[in-house]
Amino acid sequence: MTVLVLTCKQDVTADMVVTELHERGVPLVRLDPADLPGEVALSAEYVRGDFHGHLSTSGRLVSMCGLRSIWVRRPGTPGADVTEQTAWVTAECEQALYGVLRCTDARWMNHPDAAARARYKPWQLQAAHRSGFAVPATVITTFPKVARQFAENHQDLIVKPISGTHPTDPPMALPTTRIPPDVDFTEVAAGPTLLQQHIPKLADIRLTCVGEQMFAARKASDPGQVDGRFAENDHTWEAAEMPARIAQAVRAYMRAARLAYGAFDFAEDNEGTWWFLECNQGGQFGFIQLATGQPIAEAVATWLALDET
Amino acid sequence: MRPFALNYARPAAPTPAAPPYAYDSTRQLNVLSDGRPAACEREVLLASGATVSTAGSKTHFDD
Repeated sequence: MTVLVLTCKQDVTADMVVTELHERGVPLVRLDPADLPGEVALSAEYVRGDFHGHLSTSGRLVSMCGLRSIWVRRPGTPGADVTEQTAWVTAECEQALYGVLRCTDARWMNHPDAAARARYKPWQLQAAHRSGFAVPATVITTFPKVARQFAENHQDLIVKPISGTHPTDPPMALPTTRIPPDVDFTEVAAGPTLLQQHIPKLADIRLTCVGEQMFAARKASDPGQVDGRFAENDHTWEAAEMPARIAQAVRAYMRAARLAYGAFDFAEDNEGTWWFLECNQGGQFGFIQLATGQPIAEAVATWLALDET
Repeated sequence: MRPFALNYARPAAPTPAAPPYAYDSTRQLNVLSDGRPAACEREVLLASGATVSTAGSKTHFDD
């Protein structure tokens, strides 16, 4: 039985898992959906109630019924290399590839349907609250008046993208940013805006959950620091103890989200409370493993290699 | 009217230099010029920055 890895070629974090799988002798096929059609080819036939088919890339051929697990890591968009009717070809490729893969009995990390839902920030915050996490007060609005009222109520606020993406035309970075309560909110009307109660933090926490395994890491924050990804300091990630109630809440969240993998971000305040900021269903773990030595790639490989048949 | 959040945008980081490894389709992972897997070289990975959390990176937003 084969592990199918869907990711781009330059993904060295995937390499960390591929290396583990090689060492265990687990068959795998790695491909980037962006290379379909072309370097990646597929064929599937509907015969008496079932799809039988195969994928091929770089001289490898894998039967759809021979897949034990599918790891959706950093796949490119199908049809990326076509030059005619690109959007239509992309839609055709996505339907063909992910449609046929949905017909297999393979285990997913993560299933595309679960991943799609788990990307929505409002859904994350609701699921986090229901799972038992502390969640900062948040508003998403296009009403300047609502934004002003929220600022009056909470005083200390941050603004961040709802989608988690950054502007691309032209390319810009949009860090989570602290804003003064008396700022002019008129431009909130120009696009949905996410405002959140600012949590003064002692540290950032990244908790990586792989199946039933959890790896917590902590990185101290400078006073007033908001977005650790854009901070320049000498603080490093270190393995951290996880409060029992956090582990319980993570398990509840993962069940609700139907995720096999999730990277949780928390802000640790001066009372030791871990405030839920987000759960990224495809979050990076390479930098955490390199800094802490936590065997996350090994855990991913173990999950993918598990043969439940 | 400019969306409110864009008032806090800053110039994107410059595109990183090409990494010192390349994908080997036979081994299904990236290798250095001497054939060693890049994933086994901690210093190379740290220097390339390819494993860091860069939400909203050029091609992916799942970080």
